[in-house]
Amino acid sequence: MERKEIIDGLVEILQTVRTIDQEKLKDIKEETDFIADLKTPSTEMINIAAKAEQKFDLEFDDDDIDDLGSKVRDFVDLIIKTKANS
Amino acid sequence: MKGRKVAVVGMGGVFPDCKDLLDFEQKLFSNQSLIRSWDKPLSYGKQVRSSVAGYITEAEVNLEPVTSSLVEGYPESYIDLLNRIPDRNLATADIGSIWAMLSSIDAIKMAGWNNSEVESEQTGVVVGSGSCGNEIQRIAWHNFFELGKKTRTVGAHTVDRGMVYREAANVSCLIKNRGVCEAMGSACATGLGNIGYAYRLISFGLQDRIVAGGSEGTALETFLGFDGMQVLSRGFEPHQSSRPFDKDRNGFVCSFGTGIVCLEAYDIAKARGANILGVIDSYFNNSDGDGDMFAPSFSGQKRLWKGLLNDTSLRTDVVKVHGTSTPTGDAVELLSVVDTLGDKGFQIAAPKSQFGHMLGAAGAVEFITAILMLKRQEVLPCLNSDNLNPELETFQTVDSWSGPKEPLLYYRDLLKQEVFSKEINSVACLNYGFGGTNSAMLVSKDN
Repeated sequence: MERKEIIDGLVEILQTVRTIDQEKLKDIKEETDFIADLKTPSTEMINIAAKAEQKFDLEFDDDDIDDLGSKVRDFVDLIIKTKANS
Repeated sequence: MKGRKVAVVGMGGVFPDCKDLLDFEQKLFSNQSLIRSWDKPLSYGKQVRSSVAGYITEAEVNLEPVTSSLVEGYPESYIDLLNRIPDRNLATADIGSIWAMLSSIDAIKMAGWNNSEVESEQTGVVVGSGSCGNEIQRIAWHNFFELGKKTRTVGAHTVDRGMVYREAANVSCLIKNRGVCEAMGSACATGLGNIGYAYRLISFGLQDRIVAGGSEGTALETFLGFDGMQVLSRGFEPHQSSRPFDKDRNGFVCSFGTGIVCLEAYDIAKARGANILGVIDSYFNNSDGDGDMFAPSFSGQKRLWKGLLNDTSLRTDVVKVHGTSTPTGDAVELLSVVDTLGDKGFQIAAPKSQFGHMLGAAGAVEFITAILMLKRQEVLPCLNSDNLNPELETFQTVDSWSGPKEPLLYYRDLLKQEVFSKEINSVACLNYGFGGTNSAMLVSKDN
């Protein structure tokens, strides 16, 4: 799965999270930080992770979620790693 | 202990089958019932005993649930179609908390408080709920226990949307006050209990203004709990189902709603030229002390009145009763009222006859009806109290009974079945709850 394809999938998830400023999703990059740039409430991060599991048909390891950073790149890396291990 | 005078300066609410507070007022004072047949319990057929309620749908409050893609039927948030509440606040709120926020916005607007006053360290939020049922918790637990899903599939908001003081917390986060933020819980006395606690905080000088009240969000889970206890009214048309004091009454009508009032230290309110809707003269609460979770207590209610009036010259023109339409509760309450006040010189209003029992919101919404009675100089009715018992209640026939020896029918003149005009300078509000808790407040016109 290409990184671009994963980012597009993440954007689709973020479009369902009403606490995120939807305007900021137009220019999302791997360096975009969910919390610092998108002003995502930290409590929404687990919701995004759970929806990513559903969208990409995988299950993250609890330890990996505990260590997950807040940048788009961190999510993309985790999805690729989990896919590879499954 | 004599403290500061406390004024009521604003109010707002969410009510069954009503667009807003004005619609609520107009319907109540034209003798209408807000009780309807409810499709939700009806959809469960014979699993459910009763089917009438004072329910409120999401659409009626211009809300639209956002259903989670991860959990079937789980409202992970709501869309406010009128843009009254930011998405960030909606994300942390269950339906009752959203109603509390909407009601607080209206009440603060009526109070005329500016941002500096709202965000002050001297401004508190004291709002509670009966919390008898919660759709969010039920679906979340089902997802985990029955379907074996991971906890994270329900997201991060089951706690903030389910915790005991969620309404107060959500209101506080919305208005950004810096004073106290708490919730009192006393079952069906919760609404009045929160207003009473807020009154004490202001009276004792701990806060200058408080957003106070009660909220009970529509939840079939709540309805089902009482349905299982066999205490809900059945067998009547919806508008006839809540019939306090009528001899054929057979249970209460489960209802939902929110009542919020803004209280303010009287001198401060007066100094800024506020429109004072009422002045709280007294508040008292106690417990039956008889170890009975459910049964009303004549002696407990007698002590309640004694504490409320506190040997002063305080009097009341209207008694806004708890009046649930349950067989025992209404009889004990009426007899404790007349044993205290006599059988003349005041009238009884039973607003639950019009909108049912709003549980944790009941005392607050009914306090709002008391303010409306003061404003309109009209007494709300005891709808459907068609026939009063001409015989003594069984408990009146035992040797140990120390109360009035007349049957309920003797007090017919106190219980009008239609709204009527009367000079009203003060209203006594009564509410009781499971656990034997009793609350009473006296509110009067500003003279």
